[in-house]
Amino acid sequence: MGSRALLVLSPAFKSDHVLLNHFTKYGFRHRTFRQTERTRRVGVREYAVHSSLERPDVACLAETARISLTPQEAEEFAPKIQQVVDWFGQLQVVDLQSVEPAIRPDTEAGSFREDNPETFDNREAIIAAIPSYEEPYIKVPKVLNKD
Amino acid sequence: MLSSVQNPRFLLHHCRRSNPLHHHHHHHRYPKSTHTTALPHPISASLPTSQIQTIQKSILSREKTTRQFAEEFLTRLRLTEPHVKSFLHISETVLNEADEIDRKIDRNEDVGPLAGVLVAVKDNICTADMPSTAGSKLLENYRPPFDATAVKKLKESGAIIVGKTNLDEFGMGSTTEGSAYQVTANPWNLESVPGGSSGGSAAAVAARQCVVSLGSDTGGSVRQPASFCGVVGLKPTYGRVSRYGLVAYASSLDVIGCFGSSVADAGILLQSICGHDKLDATSSTREVNDYTSQFVSKDYFESQPLKGLRVGVISETLGDGVDQEVVSSVRGAISHLEELGCTVTEVSLPSFSLGLPAYYVLASSESSSNLSRYDGVRYGNQTVSDELSSLYGDSRANGFGPEVKRRILMGTYALSAGYYDAYYKRAQQVRTVVQKSFKEALGLHDILISPAAPSAAYKIGEKKNDPLAMYAGDIMTVNVNLAGLPALVLPCGFAKDSLPVGFQMIGATFDEEKLLRVGHIFEQTLQGYNFIPPLIADKI
Repeated sequence: MGSRALLVLSPAFKSDHVLLNHFTKYGFRHRTFRQTERTRRVGVREYAVHSSLERPDVACLAETARISLTPQEAEEFAPKIQQVVDWFGQLQVVDLQSVEPAIRPDTEAGSFREDNPETFDNREAIIAAIPSYEEPYIKVPKVLNKD
Repeated sequence: MLSSVQNPRFLLHHCRRSNPLHHHHHHHRYPKSTHTTALPHPISASLPTSQIQTIQKSILSREKTTRQFAEEFLTRLRLTEPHVKSFLHISETVLNEADEIDRKIDRNEDVGPLAGVLVAVKDNICTADMPSTAGSKLLENYRPPFDATAVKKLKESGAIIVGKTNLDEFGMGSTTEGSAYQVTANPWNLESVPGGSSGGSAAAVAARQCVVSLGSDTGGSVRQPASFCGVVGLKPTYGRVSRYGLVAYASSLDVIGCFGSSVADAGILLQSICGHDKLDATSSTREVNDYTSQFVSKDYFESQPLKGLRVGVISETLGDGVDQEVVSSVRGAISHLEELGCTVTEVSLPSFSLGLPAYYVLASSESSSNLSRYDGVRYGNQTVSDELSSLYGDSRANGFGPEVKRRILMGTYALSAGYYDAYYKRAQQVRTVVQKSFKEALGLHDILISPAAPSAAYKIGEKKNDPLAMYAGDIMTVNVNLAGLPALVLPCGFAKDSLPVGFQMIGATFDEEKLLRVGHIFEQTLQGYNFIPPLIADKI
């Protein structure tokens, strides 16, 4: 399976070898040679943009990730995030059919311990770390339901 | 190095032993921004010795006390720290602990294989008696309620934990400039980065502020700073060392790793911290071999001590995009391995360059999940709010630095409905391909070789505003994390401005023993190099 996967990948990776060849000290520069990709120039860099996926909406992502970005931050981050996401686009042009996804290194599945509850021996330190504590509750403000 | 250097100082020329293929002469110049005297430093007393073995032998024979060793290191730490800034927190009980060890020795009690050894710990590894900030303002002054298993094992071995070292926030970065607290300087050139994210741990060992240190390696964060700082960096197999108490960045990639000024010291440190831990479900139950009895003196080496060892040089790593000085240093290392009896051939790993975007998809995705626990409610700095979701949003916005925020956002994107298949799943598939190609290559070779980074240390500030340029520097290291393999980086040469260059040896899963054996023999027979930074050459 492994060597078959490598054979399947080699035409795709020929352009990846060119990718590595275009490393410079000043940044990452690459182009793929597939005619179906649109290319877009951003300064001195050229990236393949995968046209069927929508660009990241930074404000929306920030809401999902529960980070209150300022509008200034959102504006500053958007091009940098876009750049990296475009760079991730290389993953889409590679033929990975019938390759199983690996969720972790194949160095051995781990092991589970017995599912027996134990009393942790340093509750005081846990409680001492809580920013807002009123015995026996961890205090939080009210929850507002948004539409 | 503790072996006293009392010989007269010789003029310094870092010349390769005469070898028709190499014409380079590295002139060792002093960086302008240090306060060192203009004394040249010796090249003769340059073979790295195991400081751990030296200390143990001295204190057990009472030739010297633990306190004396501790005082030497603390003096050097105090002198160099205003320039290097490796530490976020320094222990106040070092001398007391040293005295306790001396008392035990006087009472003929057992003191442990790391007794008397000052160890620094990266600040994303939990220590109950010192703050553990992970380099973030969000965890300022956070005191974990437990020690990481690796820390617990260090203490059981008798080690003295001298302090917590600086890092890129939550392990995200390759320069240590991402710390919310301070920038650590490279002891070889104070205007250069020490590498990252374990820059503080690497710099502390390079500056001999401590004997050995612990770092963490998710995409190269032990190996790249080891190369930049001219020290030995060891990344164990995924699952060899417990991750309990390591602040999680990317759970399928993170490992705790070791720094030392010699291969033996890195190996002895690894020996003390590895093993199965029921508190880490990903830790391996595989038995731990004895890594340390093979660190014998070179007097016992055979004439071609590595005869029969099959070495594979990864051809994609010595081509375009890699600094010429790095290529020539690594080729020098390869020649040295051949002299020792290795059979060296080239091996191609066509999937090599695709590992980098796959790594960043996986790491940012997993980090977006792992960092969701930092909500300001149960620990960490809280930004007060009258409503819960803005308490979350504001605490996180105020606590996280920009690189951390960007990676969480990128990870959130890659995992969202509609994008999961295009990014995260495909990255997992690339992981499979990378694992298989390494397995195949390691079926035909005992170890694989590459540079540890495409360049030597660059200037502080140079890549700070260019995330992709910084990510590009991880090309040599990330695939090893995707495959979970062990790797060892040791210094093999210099680039311009006297910045050290290391090379990387990659082994098969759980083959740390072989890596350490080869590394030890390589190091002990390498002539003509001195990997002690000028900053401290007169302080040893």
